[in-house]
Amino acid sequence: MLSTLSDLTLMAPELWLAAMACVVLVADVYAGGGRGTVAYLLAQLALLGGMWLLLADAVPAPEALFGGAFLRDPLADVLKAAVLVLTVAVFAYARGYLQGRGLDRGEYYVLGLFGVLGMMVLISAGNLLTLYLGLELLALSLYAMVALHRDSLEASEAAMKYFVLGALASGMMLYGISLLYGVTGSLALDVVARAAAADASDPVMLLALAFVIVGVAFKLGAVPFHMWIPDVYHGAPAAVALYVGAAPKIAGFALAMRLLVEGLGGLQAEWADMLVVLAVLSIAIGNVVAIAQTNIKRMLGYSTISHIGFLLLGLIAGTRDGYGAAMFYALTYALMAAGAFGVVAIMSRRSEAELLDDYRGLNARNPWLAFMMLILMFSMAGVPPTVGFYAKLTVLKAVIDVGALWLAVVAVAFSIVGAFYYLRVVKLMYFDEPPEEAAVRAGLQAGTVLSANGLAVLGLGLLPGALLALCLQVVG
Amino acid sequence: MALTFQQFLFYAFAAVLVGAALGVITARNPVHSVLYLVLAFFTSAALWLLMEAEFLALTLVLVYVGAVMVLFLFVVMMLDIDLAALRAGFTRYLPLGLVVAALIVWEMASVLGPARFGPGRVAAPAPHGAGYSNTKALGETLYTQHLYAFEVAALILLVAIVAAIALTLRRRPDTRRQDPARQVRVRRRDRVRLVRMAPERRPAPAASEPGGRTGTEEA
Amino acid sequence: MLENYLPILLFLAIGAAFGVLPLMAGFVLGPRRPDPEKLSPYECGFEAFEDARMKFDVRYYLVAILFIIFDLEIAFLFPWAVVLDRIGTAGLVAMGIFLAILVVGFVYEWKKGALEWE
Repeated sequence: MLSTLSDLTLMAPELWLAAMACVVLVADVYAGGGRGTVAYLLAQLALLGGMWLLLADAVPAPEALFGGAFLRDPLADVLKAAVLVLTVAVFAYARGYLQGRGLDRGEYYVLGLFGVLGMMVLISAGNLLTLYLGLELLALSLYAMVALHRDSLEASEAAMKYFVLGALASGMMLYGISLLYGVTGSLALDVVARAAAADASDPVMLLALAFVIVGVAFKLGAVPFHMWIPDVYHGAPAAVALYVGAAPKIAGFALAMRLLVEGLGGLQAEWADMLVVLAVLSIAIGNVVAIAQTNIKRMLGYSTISHIGFLLLGLIAGTRDGYGAAMFYALTYALMAAGAFGVVAIMSRRSEAELLDDYRGLNARNPWLAFMMLILMFSMAGVPPTVGFYAKLTVLKAVIDVGALWLAVVAVAFSIVGAFYYLRVVKLMYFDEPPEEAAVRAGLQAGTVLSANGLAVLGLGLLPGALLALCLQVVG
Repeated sequence: MALTFQQFLFYAFAAVLVGAALGVITARNPVHSVLYLVLAFFTSAALWLLMEAEFLALTLVLVYVGAVMVLFLFVVMMLDIDLAALRAGFTRYLPLGLVVAALIVWEMASVLGPARFGPGRVAAPAPHGAGYSNTKALGETLYTQHLYAFEVAALILLVAIVAAIALTLRRRPDTRRQDPARQVRVRRRDRVRLVRMAPERRPAPAASEPGGRTGTEEA
Repeated sequence: MLENYLPILLFLAIGAAFGVLPLMAGFVLGPRRPDPEKLSPYECGFEAFEDARMKFDVRYYLVAILFIIFDLEIAFLFPWAVVLDRIGTAGLVAMGIFLAILVVGFVYEWKKGALEWE
């Protein structure tokens, strides 16, 4: 229960964001005119303000509110900060696209803010109920954002698929949660953790685990629960695919961390076995099918699936190093995905530049943009000295440390296969003739953010130590 | 073992529930499917009531049967759907569906059967007296212990409102509308103009022109 | 507690019997002489012009969906109202915030014109 009102300062970022989301909603509708300028500026203000509140009062040790329903620990602080920073970048990329395509409605930013709030609730969840509610708040915002372009048949289809499959996965997960509640008699994650540690062979617990894994795997997009990713990334407007592809991956990692590691840590051996299947299939199918894609958004979708496989490897290791590596992977992958989709959004301002062919000769049309895309593609492929290389390395090291050498070998083999389609984009940009001569302009805002994003990918690759140390420190 | 009256009710309602659920997926007419679903909700409410979860049972009837199913019925009755195309795959996928369903039932029955959740493992809670209110018990935890979750639920409902409006509301440029605020705000001088004018002499009847103009127009 | 619901059970049984028995009686006792013309759909004496199903304006659904959301909100008010004397000021404030959040939605809905029927 709430002892004093001053405890509420622990959740000041959430309260601020919730209040600001409501303000943006009302301000947008009163500003009228269907233009999102007011909503955009207020939304950025909300995110930056939330960031400030979060960092001004970072907690050194875990603290709980509402009887453990809200948990604020260093892990939550780092993940939330990453979500906020990425969303600032995402909104900056999306702005020009939305304006150019006549989609500049305040609802994009409002739903985006509610999605961020859902992620923060999820990241800070201390019991199963708030975990689920945070997930639903995020998912509901995402479904609506995907469908926001109402006149596009593809977007409607993508939203429909996403919604139906997502609702099914949520139902599965909820069933697992209800079984956990049935066995342990409590929704609190720490009570569940004690029960799981006490009796790891309870078949009911294992059945619950299976259902929960389905939910987690769907939200992350691991094979065989990946069906929605290519369709959503392909069908949704680039600005929405950008949003879906970046910060929610961090939320997915938080979901796995809270539910599997903190809640069901006692069953680590059991869920690691399940995740091995998901991880190997994800890395294999993601990388191989991506080669066959001609649509860059779809290609990035399959690339996401393969990266999720890598992220899962860190969890499979089950050590502190493994969790730290998975967190490092989640953070850096979200950064890369934001950048790559940012480039797609910049390219798509006049019409959806979603075919790989649209990127031919980009170097001639805008060398800096092409260079940024080069860094991002190298990083996704895992080419040193970019951060993608380092992220893969730490994950593989964690897996080898626990003796699963074959997993590392499989992962490396398929990422070499995968390097082909990333490098194909680079080849198209630098060695092919452009289909048109007109220069591509990124604009001051998106250009600055993209430069920061690309250089961060490069810089973190050169100096990964601080972030990795931070990840290791907060998961421990 | 003789059945108590409560057990009899449980099995009766459960049988109706399973029958209704089968009806939902096998009925040829989608409107009938929805009506079966209404029956399924009603009987599940009765089952919840037997478990002394009266508030949830009544909410199920109020919200699901009263609102959600009406919307469903509405959608199904008005929707222009090709029933034959929808049913085309039914028999083809039926065997696979049955196998999967049987597998799930077997799995769940073997794990969740009476060996683990039966009366031997979990003691039945004592039945409550006539004055017991489930609603009060719910209220006392919902607004204290689960306060945070409750407020997050409000945000989810808000997102649902925003999403529903953002996705379906369309302005039509060609419709005429009245603005009550402007109607109330209107003043006399916006509508009527009084013109002071000197009385005019009626023109002599002899000098009438065909289609003659009247003096008022010149004022 | 369950004995409170016995009258409702009886009511349900009698209600069901009232609905089913006359239909059964008609089914069993009434003469049945089917004829293709008698069984064909009837539309004021003409052949049916078109299918009874047609595309409906999405605005009907919007109204229904908004109704459901506020219906759910009301479901939260019941348990709150019966324990208001025991949960004190904190409970009052909690519901105040809950309602305030939904009022924001209501303002949005109103200003956006979702409640207008054009």
